[in-house]
Formats: sequence, C-alpha cells, structure tokens
Amino acid sequence: MPILKVENLKVHFPIKGGIFGRTVDYVKAVDGVSLEIEKGTTYGLVGESGSGKTTTGRAIIGLNKITSGKVYFEGKEVTNLRRSRASFHRDVQMIFQDPYSSLNPKKRVLDIVAEPLRNFEKMSRSEEKKRVEELLELVGLSPESIVKYPHQFSGGQRQRIGIARAIALKPKLIIADEPVSALDVSVQAQVLNFMQEIQKELDLTFLFISHDLGVIRHMCNQIGIMYRGRFVEEGLTEDIFNNPQHIYTKRLVAAIPNIDPSKREESLQFRKEVDHEYKQSYANYFDEDGLAYNLQPISETHFVALPEKG
Amino acid sequence: MSKDVVIMSEQIEESHESPSGLKVLWREIIRDKLALSSLILLIVISIGVIIGSAILDYDEVTKVDLFNTHAPPSSENWLGTDYGGRDVFGQLIIGTRNSLAIGVLVTLMSGFIGILFGLIAGYFGGTIDNIFMRILDFFLILPFLMIVIIFVAIVPKYSIISFSLIMTAFLWMGTARLVRSKALQERELDYVNAAKTLGTSNLKIMLTHVLPNLSSIIIVNMTLSLAGNIGIESGLSFLGFGFPESTPSLGTLLSYATNPQTLEYRWWIWLPAAILILILMLSVRNVGEAFKRATDARQRRG
Repeated sequence: MPILKVENLKVHFPIKGGIFGRTVDYVKAVDGVSLEIEKGTTYGLVGESGSGKTTTGRAIIGLNKITSGKVYFEGKEVTNLRRSRASFHRDVQMIFQDPYSSLNPKKRVLDIVAEPLRNFEKMSRSEEKKRVEELLELVGLSPESIVKYPHQFSGGQRQRIGIARAIALKPKLIIADEPVSALDVSVQAQVLNFMQEIQKELDLTFLFISHDLGVIRHMCNQIGIMYRGRFVEEGLTEDIFNNPQHIYTKRLVAAIPNIDPSKREESLQFRKEVDHEYKQSYANYFDEDGLAYNLQPISETHFVALPEKG
Repeated sequence: MSKDVVIMSEQIEESHESPSGLKVLWREIIRDKLALSSLILLIVISIGVIIGSAILDYDEVTKVDLFNTHAPPSSENWLGTDYGGRDVFGQLIIGTRNSLAIGVLVTLMSGFIGILFGLIAGYFGGTIDNIFMRILDFFLILPFLMIVIIFVAIVPKYSIISFSLIMTAFLWMGTARLVRSKALQERELDYVNAAKTLGTSNLKIMLTHVLPNLSSIIIVNMTLSLAGNIGIESGLSFLGFGFPESTPSLGTLLSYATNPQTLEYRWWIWLPAAILILILMLSVRNVGEAFKRATDARQRRG
C-alpha cells in the first residue's frame, strides 16, 4: 500500500472581477494530478515556475484548499479534513522553501524546534530541552544554539533548524518544498546529503519539490514532471533521464549543462535536435489550449501525456 | 571579582549579538536627548501627582470657601483659588492624576479591543475580515461628540471608569485598522504556515506567533494615542462634556478660562493647567516618536 496516494487533485483559485467581485474565471493551479508514493522512497515533483508543484504540496498538507480530488494517507482519506487532522499533522511535515521567513524571528531556537513537541507530546521542560538538543545535534548544530535567535544563523543553518523542526515528531512523510533553492551551491550538497541520511535513519518518505533536475536526479526514486498544472511525464528516475518521451521532458533534460568538455559537441547536437523537434511537433504533444493530455502508460513504471490515438 | 567581570562581559556580548525589541527601544531613547528628558519629565510628573493626590485631602481641596474666592497665589494657596474658593494647586495635582488615569485607561482598553479585533480580522482574512471591517466602519461613522453629550445627559454621575468606557467605544478603530493591515502581511509569511502544519491552533498562532511580531508597532501606536487621548479628555472637559467640577481634571481647570475675567486677570487658575497639558502631550509625543524611529532600522539613531 502506498503511504500517500493522490487522486485527480485539482486546486483552482477564483479570479474576482467586476463591480460586485463576482468570480469571473479560475486559475487552474493544479488540474488533475495523481500520484502514489511508496514508503521510504523519494518522489520528485519537477516543473517550471508556476507549474503548480508547490501548490500540489501545499494542498496535500492542507495549506491550500482542494477544489476536487482525493488525498489518501496510509489508506485513510485526509482531503480537506478539519477536525481529525491532528494525527495527520503528526505524521506529515513540511520543509519550507525560504529559510528566512519560515522561522519566527521573535522566537528562540528552543521554542521553534519544540513547538511541535509542545503541540503533540506532553514533556517536561527538561525532557523537551534534551530532545531539542538531540535534534539540533542530529542536524549538525551545536546544542548551545537553543538560546539563539534565527537571525544569528546563516541560511544553511536556518534550513537545518527548519528540518530539525520537521523531524521532531518523527513523521512518516515530509513534503520538502524546494528546500535547497534558497541556499548556495556548497550548502545545497550538505543539506541534501543530510536529508538522505535522516531518510535512512528514520525511514522517511519525501515528496521533494524542486525545479533543479540535478538535485532531483540525486535525490529521487520516482519523478513527476508538471507543466501548467498537469503531469506531462511520470516514471522512475532512470525512465525520465534515459528515455524521456514527452517533448517538454526532453527539453528539460537537454537543458542540463554537461561539464565534460569532450561531450560538448554531442550535447549541443542533442539540444539542437530537441529544439527542432519542439518547433516541429509542438502541436502533437499539447491540446488546443496548450495543456498536456492525459497520461498513457508506455511501460509498467513510465507514463507519458500523449494524445490517445497517437 | 574577576568572575563578575567575565559574566558582565558575556552579558554585554550577548546583548550586542541580539538586541531584543525592548533594548532597541531603550537605546533609541538614550540616544535621543529630547526623548530621554521627556521620559524623565513624564515619570517625575506621574509619580509626583500620584503621591501628591494620595497626600492631599480630596474633600479639603474641593471644599467651597466663599470667603476666599479668586485669591491670588499666596503661601497658603500656592496657585490661588478659583471662584468657589477651592485651592487651584490641589485641583491641579488631582486633576492631572485624573487626566493621566483616563488617558492611560482609554489607551489600554482601546488598545486591547483594537488589537483583538484587528488581529482576528487580519489573521483570518476573507469573509471574517469583511464582516469585521464593516462593523468597524459603522463605529467610524458614529458621531462621537453627539453621543458623548447624550451620554453626559443620561448618566447622572459618572466616574473615571464610565468616562473611559465611553471614550474607548470610539477610539479603538485606529489601532484595529493598523493591527489588521500588519496581520494581513504577517499571515502570508511562511512561519505562520509552518505553525499550521505543525498542528498549532489558530488562537495560539495569533497570540504567540503573530502578536509578538506586531509588538513594536503596537507600542508606538499606543504611545502616540496616549498623547491624543489626554488631549481629547481635556477637550471634552473644557467643552463641559467631561467631568463635572466636583471631579477636577486638567480640562475642567482650563474651562474656567471661558470666563473673560478669569482669562484676563486670573492667570493662576488656567495657565498652569494649560502649560501642564502642553508639557504632557509634547513629552508623550517625543517618547512616541523615538519609539517610532526605533521600529524602523533606517531611521534609528541608536
């Protein structure tokens, strides 16, 4: 049984207009996304800005209202739940993109990391402090940090505080919304490796949202590629990177820079081919509105959005 | 001894690392000589009138003595007497205390209501915000002065508390609007979302996450409105819609000046009260302006 199952998820935001603020139209941020994540694996959501990947993550955890579709966590439905979310929040946590705004500037690290513990576990002050110190050690910060304020840390350290807070309750699923895109490259590797370590240690499942294909390839077992609120291709990491089928995926893969100078000509050639194909056959891959088609299986693990007849 | 020095230097270092909101406010006050002297003056006046009015016999001060009306300042009546032969100096002390008490009380009460109202409207947004703002608009269009006049006519004898309540009913809207606009900004930040995903209740997020981040602008707003509230109280009393003469305030003393004779020849009755109102309002304002600068890092002097 998959730990998280999303069925035909749609998140539409109304556009208000006119004198009386009527709803004129909808922004279809997420328009029919389905995915399944197995326990202990990492699922990568990739796409350009505005493709709806962040909204998908936020809708799953309940920060955006779901217009239609269903979300199952461990087989139980958790779509737009209000009251019984408590246990859900215990098991599903989120790491935020911006390490600067995601920590309350007025609180000490102790209060920040202990917040989930205070909400769900009845601990004495000294137990709580000990647990927070352990967590900080786990993310590679010194235990003395508990009396400091967020602004006294660097971006990478702040992101680790965010991670410490997310793993405090030993959750089963963590939704990581571009956890490293605000960090500089040297720190990115640290944070990513650290996330893989704790994944093994705590048997975590990640839903990893990113626009950086290199990071996704490094982290994920399974990948879904989003374009304008819909999946264009979904499959195992090898499927996507070695055998991209959809023109959008091909363009993304072609855009990954290759550092090997001897292959420069080769990759340039590939890029030109893809560009040519894109110009030639754009209409074959997208419908009249420029949206992706429904996913068709081309192997057991690999799905591509192609027109049904073609 | 040397241990003490080490602890001291550690403390200094720590304060250097993370200046908390209060420390920033304090540093700004220290740096601004005008605000510092205003603050000292305010504290001296407040303590003075509180102790003074505790020592003074209220009945003695408000006792009418028809053989000693309009007496100029003397060793017995330091600031002379009014048309009822009551001691002006005693009235000034008690009046300042009353005016200050009303100012502080109204500021605290309207601040409390305003913060609560604005926080709920801003934090939840959407429909709740809409409903709350329409209620606020309703209070905003009510004619303040007219209702206070009617209130004075209906309530036979009113106290500091009831006067503060009627003023509060019309003075909380500014704070509410300010807090709402800031809360609307604040709730979009990720730390609020993070708290939600961590399972913290809305009430707790409002009070322990959003409110502390609004504390500095609330302090500034309340300090500046304190000056305004003292002025409004004096104004109402001057017009005759505030306290009766039996309850002295700075406004009632000032209202004696409506008599041209008093205005021209008996300065000791109204001039001290006028100067005191001026000093109080200016001092509070100076302190408030320093607070305001402290909340904006670009304007800070300290």
